[in-house]
Amino acid sequence: MSMDFSWIYDVPPSRLALLLIVVFVGFYWAGLILLRPILRQFVKNTRNANDIIGYILSCFCVFYGLLLGLIAVTAYQGVSEAGSNVTREAAALSALYEDVSRYPEPYGQNLRWLLRDYTRYVIKYAWPLQQRGIVPEEGTIRAEAFHDRLLDFQPRTPAEEILHAEAMRQLNHFLECRRMRLFSVKSALPASMWYVMILGAVLTIAMCWLFDMKFITHLVLGGILSAYLGTMIYLIVDMNQPFRGDVSITAEAFETLYRRMNED
Amino acid sequence: MATEDTSFLPGPRGISRRRAIAESAAATLAAARALSPVLFVGCSLGIRPRAKTVPVGLLHSQTGTMAISATSLRDIELHAFEQINAAGGLLGYQLEARAPDPRSRPAMFAKRARQLLEGGVVAVFGCWTSTSRKAVLPLFEEYRKLLFYSVQYEGDESSKYCVYGGSVPNQQIMPAIDWLTGPDGGAKKKFFLLGSDYVFPRTANFVAKKYLASKDLRPAGEVYLPLGHLDFTAAVQQILSSGADCVLNTVNGDSNIGLFQALADAKVDPAKLPVVSTSIAEDELRNLLPEQVQGHFAVSSYFQSLDTEANRRWVEGFCNEFGSDRVTGDPMEPDWCLVHLWKAAVEKAGSFETEAVRQAFRDGLEFAGPGGTVRLDPKTQHCTKYFRVGKIRADRQFDIVHSSDAAIAPDPYPQIAFPGWSCDWTKDGITRGSEVSINGDL
Repeated sequence: MSMDFSWIYDVPPSRLALLLIVVFVGFYWAGLILLRPILRQFVKNTRNANDIIGYILSCFCVFYGLLLGLIAVTAYQGVSEAGSNVTREAAALSALYEDVSRYPEPYGQNLRWLLRDYTRYVIKYAWPLQQRGIVPEEGTIRAEAFHDRLLDFQPRTPAEEILHAEAMRQLNHFLECRRMRLFSVKSALPASMWYVMILGAVLTIAMCWLFDMKFITHLVLGGILSAYLGTMIYLIVDMNQPFRGDVSITAEAFETLYRRMNED
Repeated sequence: MATEDTSFLPGPRGISRRRAIAESAAATLAAARALSPVLFVGCSLGIRPRAKTVPVGLLHSQTGTMAISATSLRDIELHAFEQINAAGGLLGYQLEARAPDPRSRPAMFAKRARQLLEGGVVAVFGCWTSTSRKAVLPLFEEYRKLLFYSVQYEGDESSKYCVYGGSVPNQQIMPAIDWLTGPDGGAKKKFFLLGSDYVFPRTANFVAKKYLASKDLRPAGEVYLPLGHLDFTAAVQQILSSGADCVLNTVNGDSNIGLFQALADAKVDPAKLPVVSTSIAEDELRNLLPEQVQGHFAVSSYFQSLDTEANRRWVEGFCNEFGSDRVTGDPMEPDWCLVHLWKAAVEKAGSFETEAVRQAFRDGLEFAGPGGTVRLDPKTQHCTKYFRVGKIRADRQFDIVHSSDAAIAPDPYPQIAFPGWSCDWTKDGITRGSEVSINGDL
């Protein structure tokens, strides 16, 4: 049974960061108090235990740091690619709008209206759904309505034929970008990555519990390390879904286009 | 040399382990207590509670032959919902529009309607053609939900689960004949009845024939062509050879493009042979070439050019939201009124439940719409309507050349065509008269 953590995206970013830091530091401190005496039994008779633990921990942290770094890059690339698709879709929509503006009336006006309607839908209805991780469906109807109406047009002159061919090309490009945007609504890191990442964090913390040092020093140093781990996890959580969280894609490209469409 | 940390060992050099644990536990508990409102209470994390929503269905063709007209109904409904939501919603709920595409196919209307009803919508605003309405009405009766239908139609129908916002023949077809046969309309005598081949045109023309007969007039001809048909050359030749002096046009959808093209090709002069359309509004005019339609007429309850402050504000609001080149028309205005009548009923009932909403109809509801005040007649669940005649201008708008003095009460069963039939949903529902055959010859 999978657990639903989607509520995390409804928490304001600063509070989510604080929450994760508190959880990680709290976990470290709790373990330090409750588990450390038990875990210390494994190494209590080992000479230079701190050195050995420190050496293993640094090796472990290299791999874990590498993993976190790669995951963060993957998550960022996901956001970045989705952002590029959105920009490309808006650009294709803009080019298409320009193309159909050259169509003879009443086709030109009807086609412009349909594109405006699509853009308005994306801004007002699709985006809020995407921000909740839901793939908006009714935009497809609007895109189909435009496609149907565009196919109704029969060019009568060579100039219209060229224009129509270009509009069809732009339409295909636009539909491709649109499909990519919809695919990216639910794109996220696979569960296995999360398991490895969380396990890595727990093991890092568990290794730190083994150190032999002053209690207060333990609390402070371990707390700092845990806080940073929490911050890293926050960053990855925030970038996990391209349309959710603080690091997410906005509808700005469409909003700018819609303003221009209405100015025309 | 490394020294062993003995701070946790009992003895004079450090605090005791027990004490350390106790103090740490106390500190942790204190921290947990301080942070618990943040950790365990969702709202303290700043999660804004999601607005409660109630799903409402919008069942309009967005592709296919009727999309040209029906899409604007979806838009005006969305506009109304957005305004209601911005003002705080309805009974504390935000209206969530669900608008699937029935693709102008009656079978798809039934399929989509069932999906909406099974999806839990509280009401549905939808349909354009009578064929589509008749395809979905049994479902609304089965699920006991309300369908709000805003398009002018043929009458001869009344469903407990349908609220009709458009004109019926006694509010549109019959006053149109009165106007055409009167001095202002040119005292016409030879009516040619031209329509799309489905329920509305055939029934509307049945009523028209009965009404003409009551004036000792007979139609000069009657032709029906399939919905979506575009070649009207032969039909226009029939009109010309019939000697008709006016055409009562009940053609729907983008077939009107073909009709007016054929009329223009045949060089029909609107001054001599005016076409009076029942299903052409400003939205349809944007697809017709002005030089082909200028001078012809449309009969309707509302035109965008209506010169009232309420109408100007409404048109401005719609254009601000959807684009300055968008237009309003009939049945957009009745549709707007229907949404607000439903809102008033829900507020009065304090519930979205169908029976409670229907109960709220009983006392009579009124709404001051852009085209004038409409009243929902609880007996028929139809609305009072103004009757207006518009002459098509070159700018794709209408000059209103005639307007009824007051709103006309609805009669879905005009006795001239459906003797003995009536309905009263505050009492026994439909009273059946003798069976009437619509498809009789001239």
